[in-house]
Amino acid sequence: MTLRYWIGGTVAAAVAVAAPLLAEQTTGAKAGNFRLNDASGKVVELSQFAGKTVVLEWHNPGCPFVQKHYDSGNMQKTQAAARAQGAVWLTINSGAPGKQGFMSGAEAQKLVATQGAKSSYYLLDPKGVVGKGYGAKTTPHMYVIAPDGTLVYQGGIDDKPTANKADIAAARNHVLAALGEVKAGKPVSVKEARPYGCSVKYEGVS
Amino acid sequence: MKTSMPLLRFVLLILALIATPAMAQRAPTHIAPRLIAESEVPAAGRTVMLALAMSPEKGWHGYWANPGDAGIGPEFKWTLPAGAKAGPAQFPVPHRLLIGGLMNYVYEGDYAHLIALDIPAGLAPGTKLPISLAVDWLACTEEICVPESGSFAIELTVGDGTIDGARKAQFDRWRAALPRPLGADARFQVKDGVFRIGVPLPASAAAQDAYFFPLTDGAIDYAAPQTVRRDGDLLTIEVKAHGSAASLQAVEGVLALDRDTGLSFKAAPGAVATGGALLGSDGGAEGAGGLAGTIATSFGLALLGGLLLNIMPCVFPILSLKALSLARSGEDERTARREALAYTAGVVLVCVALGAALLGLRAAGAAAGWAFQLQDPRVILVLLLLVSGIALNLAGLFEIGSIGVGGALVSSGGASGAFWTGALAAFIATPCTGPFMGAALGAALVLPATAALTIFAGLGIGLALPFLLLGFVPALRRRLPRPGGWMETFRRLLSIPMFLTALGLAWILGRQSGVNGMTMGLGAALALAVALWWIGRRQSAGRPGWFALAPALAVAIALIVVLPRQPAQASTAEAGGILAAEPFSETRLAALQKEGRPIFVYFTADWCLTCKVNEKGAIERAEVADAFKAKQVAVLVGDWTDGDPAIGRFIESHGRSGVPLYLFYQPGAAPRILPQVLTPSTLTALAG
Repeated sequence: MTLRYWIGGTVAAAVAVAAPLLAEQTTGAKAGNFRLNDASGKVVELSQFAGKTVVLEWHNPGCPFVQKHYDSGNMQKTQAAARAQGAVWLTINSGAPGKQGFMSGAEAQKLVATQGAKSSYYLLDPKGVVGKGYGAKTTPHMYVIAPDGTLVYQGGIDDKPTANKADIAAARNHVLAALGEVKAGKPVSVKEARPYGCSVKYEGVS
Repeated sequence: MKTSMPLLRFVLLILALIATPAMAQRAPTHIAPRLIAESEVPAAGRTVMLALAMSPEKGWHGYWANPGDAGIGPEFKWTLPAGAKAGPAQFPVPHRLLIGGLMNYVYEGDYAHLIALDIPAGLAPGTKLPISLAVDWLACTEEICVPESGSFAIELTVGDGTIDGARKAQFDRWRAALPRPLGADARFQVKDGVFRIGVPLPASAAAQDAYFFPLTDGAIDYAAPQTVRRDGDLLTIEVKAHGSAASLQAVEGVLALDRDTGLSFKAAPGAVATGGALLGSDGGAEGAGGLAGTIATSFGLALLGGLLLNIMPCVFPILSLKALSLARSGEDERTARREALAYTAGVVLVCVALGAALLGLRAAGAAAGWAFQLQDPRVILVLLLLVSGIALNLAGLFEIGSIGVGGALVSSGGASGAFWTGALAAFIATPCTGPFMGAALGAALVLPATAALTIFAGLGIGLALPFLLLGFVPALRRRLPRPGGWMETFRRLLSIPMFLTALGLAWILGRQSGVNGMTMGLGAALALAVALWWIGRRQSAGRPGWFALAPALAVAIALIVVLPRQPAQASTAEAGGILAAEPFSETRLAALQKEGRPIFVYFTADWCLTCKVNEKGAIERAEVADAFKAKQVAVLVGDWTDGDPAIGRFIESHGRSGVPLYLFYQPGAAPRILPQVLTPSTLTALAG
């Protein structure tokens, strides 16, 4: 009888390979909608911010590249500037349970408070569904979505791919630049840049 | 004593306070670099090679210049004496590391960056040259990343450029790990979201595990699988393009031919021909749809291949016997289904287990092909004996009673017998799969483990499918012939394909361990046959005789121990060709120069297309051979296919970084460097 279960298992393994794959969003096209729980358990959906500029930030508190921008206050400053112009800022953590940077809702709330993060919501994506749907590869990895829902920027936060805080001052902050251009009704000049940082700690080995 | 205690404590406290920051600074990094010069006494006006040797801790990795989806390559900042100039850091061929669907181009073991340092001319011997280097690098495990940095200083003294022997060997190993310049231009095109690159590579050059590592960012989707094709002297790779790839004006990169060999080149935009023989899909990762597509195709192919295996001589006898026994079980639906399912489980599990073993070997870094178990002559010998035994049984020499390992399990009735029949069928089938399954299995070898196992499962399901159908569709079973006396005849006939399989295995054994090995194998088969014959005689007399197998097994085990692993005949390449060329070495060159003979020296590599074209079109020609013979021109050939460091150093000393290099030595004159494109008349003129 157990033989039947073995067969079942084999077939199931075959099906499991067709699991979610790393997709990407096309710059200039409509950004895909998603729904996640935030650190307090509240359901947040991208479509509820229609008509507003939305910034997505992929986050892992254990990653030295993320720490570069938080310890220096650069990320908080960027968040505050975005919020000040009416944009919504969604920080997303796609780290899987057991991996570096994974946090429970309570832990995330505590971290946001201690770091003085100014994001609108801290979203938890432990299964990596949204991260993979957006092709988020590094922490940080930034996306700017215009009020009409099109993705106008994706890539690194700036053009100095290092873990050194001293490099922030001379760097071009691609997110702030894109936000300014969106607000002024101009096309975004740098639409894509190479994201840099640690890899997003998705679940699974390969 | 009492009074000194607080003082002591105070001193210790101060010491601790002083020591702490120093300790923090010296905290060991996860990758330990060392800066080493090939020569401590470089000559003025010459180049000295520097190495930054990197030793990652176990489980940690450093990054290639292009890190892939995440991570960062190292940064070098030099502080050098006036006039000295450091070239760009050279990177060894990287490896792929796929973590959570993200591709990383990394080094997981010890590696080294090589940097050529130009020493200014006109410096007096004994001049001190302080060299210092500040490096930032990223060290990561599969879980975490740590940005690390360090400063390294060495002092060189201007001298005669002497290189210490041990250090020379060390630098030679590092040099061999670098990609070699291809010396030809590649083309790339971006169309419909597919990046296709065409690299000129001679059809004869080996490229089992070809993978394109792009140095230029924004060309390809790093984690997407790469499809490699070869068409004559062109190797093409197709991979999902990065969104901005179409705007690139040039793409640089390294074509890895296997894990440690690579060719560096630059590609310009241009049309790249499609078509060519598929080498298999490589670089597997979850590209959008790419992997699913590859898996679906490979699964389909594997299924088809498994189905075909049913009519292979090495499987059909077993299958037929089992089908007959199923027919014998009459109309009992439950039993038939149970047996069919058990058989399927046996087949699939053995296939998956073989696949898992293969993946294990692959992980261990062993160069394993699908029929990997067949690359070991000892395994072939075991299979030869097994198949011979089965053939002799089918031929009626002896009967399998209630004793014996595989046989007893196979012949035992019901589900467990069916299970073991399936397992045996799958194991026996592996020698037959190679020719049919190349592509699907190639894909299985490079895909992520789950995908690879799916393909092996597909193979098993395909193999089990006919029997499964028989079990579940009674109509089919009713069309099977009824059991009867003809079955014995049929069984005898089935021994013929089994003997043919044994013959094939003997041939493979001969290929692998030479005539001696094959003779030993056949001797073992004979010993087995004699033992089985004796058993058969006793069986017909109603007496058990299985202990006769013991000496036969002892013979087989002894042979397994002593069986030669290498074929007796060495396959040397064409010895010199019509020019009677000798292998190049600097000592041979010096000896020939002493003899006062003119010498033509050429350096080539299997992967160098220009070299091969010149050899066919200009060098290995009758008129050139005649002219050289007339003037007693000696010919030396240096083969740089495997990156021989001695040859690399010689090429370097002639101001070239790679092949082709053609030199002509007239007695008493400095060598002439010939153009990279040769004609027969250039060469005949030299001799004239």
